[in-house]
Amino acid sequence: MNNDLARKHSEMRMKDQRVQTHPCYSKDAHKYARIHLPVAPACNIQCNYCNRKFDCSNETRPGVVSKLLSPAEAVHRFQAVKKRMPELKVVGIAGPGDPLANPNATLATLKGVAEIDDDVHLCVSTNGLNLPEQVDALAGVGVHHLTITINSLSAKTASELYSWAYFNNQRLRGIEAAEALIEQQMKGLKLASEAGILVKVNTVLVPGINDGESLSALAKEIQSRGALLHNVMPLISDPAHGTFFGLNHIPGPDKEQLEAARKVAGMDMQQMTHCQQCRADAVGKLDSDQSCASKELDSSVATVRIAVASSTGELIDTHFGHASEFRIFDVSESSLALVETRQVEKYCSGMEHCDDQPLAGHIKALHDCQQVLCARIGMDPWQSLENAGITPSVEFAMMNVTDTLKVLAPKASSSCSGSVNKEAC
Amino acid sequence: MALSITSLCISCSACKLVCPENAIRVSDNQFTIVEHRCNECSEATGTPQCASICPVENAILDANGISLNPTGSLAPVTFNQERILALKGEIA
Repeated sequence: MNNDLARKHSEMRMKDQRVQTHPCYSKDAHKYARIHLPVAPACNIQCNYCNRKFDCSNETRPGVVSKLLSPAEAVHRFQAVKKRMPELKVVGIAGPGDPLANPNATLATLKGVAEIDDDVHLCVSTNGLNLPEQVDALAGVGVHHLTITINSLSAKTASELYSWAYFNNQRLRGIEAAEALIEQQMKGLKLASEAGILVKVNTVLVPGINDGESLSALAKEIQSRGALLHNVMPLISDPAHGTFFGLNHIPGPDKEQLEAARKVAGMDMQQMTHCQQCRADAVGKLDSDQSCASKELDSSVATVRIAVASSTGELIDTHFGHASEFRIFDVSESSLALVETRQVEKYCSGMEHCDDQPLAGHIKALHDCQQVLCARIGMDPWQSLENAGITPSVEFAMMNVTDTLKVLAPKASSSCSGSVNKEAC
Repeated sequence: MALSITSLCISCSACKLVCPENAIRVSDNQFTIVEHRCNECSEATGTPQCASICPVENAILDANGISLNPTGSLAPVTFNQERILALKGEIA
């Protein structure tokens, strides 16, 4: 496809309804709101402009989040926010690590949201290292919007932007890490475009490293691999954030440098210029973030569904694997209701087998519960439950069911530290 | 023989997701390695997976209490002082 044809094709795609109603893809979609659900804490690379340790309520930038959510909590937050914010049109997973380094949590959350609302756009933002292996799964749950952060095509250039990458069970460094990452990004970009996903490419501009020639080559390549939109973002380099670039006082671009870079990249790629560089837990419209308000909102309206393994309903006295039934309770700050008792086939016949038996039936029976309380549980069922977004607990073994549920009832949070975060998401 | 996690851990879950022995537990946001499950990845991959993905230096120790990612080991390998000064615009 020659350049003009490709550009026309891209202009045509920009008119797609899925683009017009997504505030990150279209400047004109600012009336629609988005929510980032922070379910993905792990990351598989170290970018020199990111510091995973830092979390401060006064700062707003990608890779940072105040409280992680399990997939079930995340779906619950989405539901609660949607009730108050009907213009909520976009559900994204952007971290605080890399969503595809946490594929189970990411996919479970997206699936849960899609089950209750088939009208929202599902998006994911990734560094691309695990993308080729996950494209089918993402398309399968209905992800239409994908952002890949690609900073350079040159391994030498990229080796100044990344310290290491965890790939094929090894920590790679320097050039080796950069080569693996770029290869995966290019493969993933092509596969995702071919799968019909609208791909936006983010590039963090670091003057002296990936501007000029490097950026021009990148724009050409991503265009030929089917990217729809390119977002050249300025490096955020505050020493207080503790990043490598920040601590070494390596400056981000000034306005002129950023504009010049966007012009260079704009020769080949449609540019996005209204990005606000959101946090991984941003909520609301791009110009009015309400992540803090929404946290209050979801705790104040929250009802949690808790499953209890108990022989008589009085004490939490049953081993998870020995349970033949679970009592399902809905618990809120002011009420406690037994919804029903669900029968399951017990699968564990003793310590030796406890960790090996299939427990898909149990997980299915408890799929809508956020927590399960039991007297004991094996490591593997524990892990499988967590992967399905259900948190097991043995902390209340042999304690009274009603008393425990009262303790676990969600409390309306009294305040959110500081004022509402200014949107920089 | 088992590895252990120190208080420098930032609870990012990366180790837990890659541990082939399912040996990492989290309770109250504290990550710990279950001793009898950890084989230091001697069979599975040769290199301890938790220490290969952990983003924090000195957060994972071997059975003798020696750090698997000692201070400085996770820093970028490509920069020298001259390059940093050039990027800051202090030298050409």
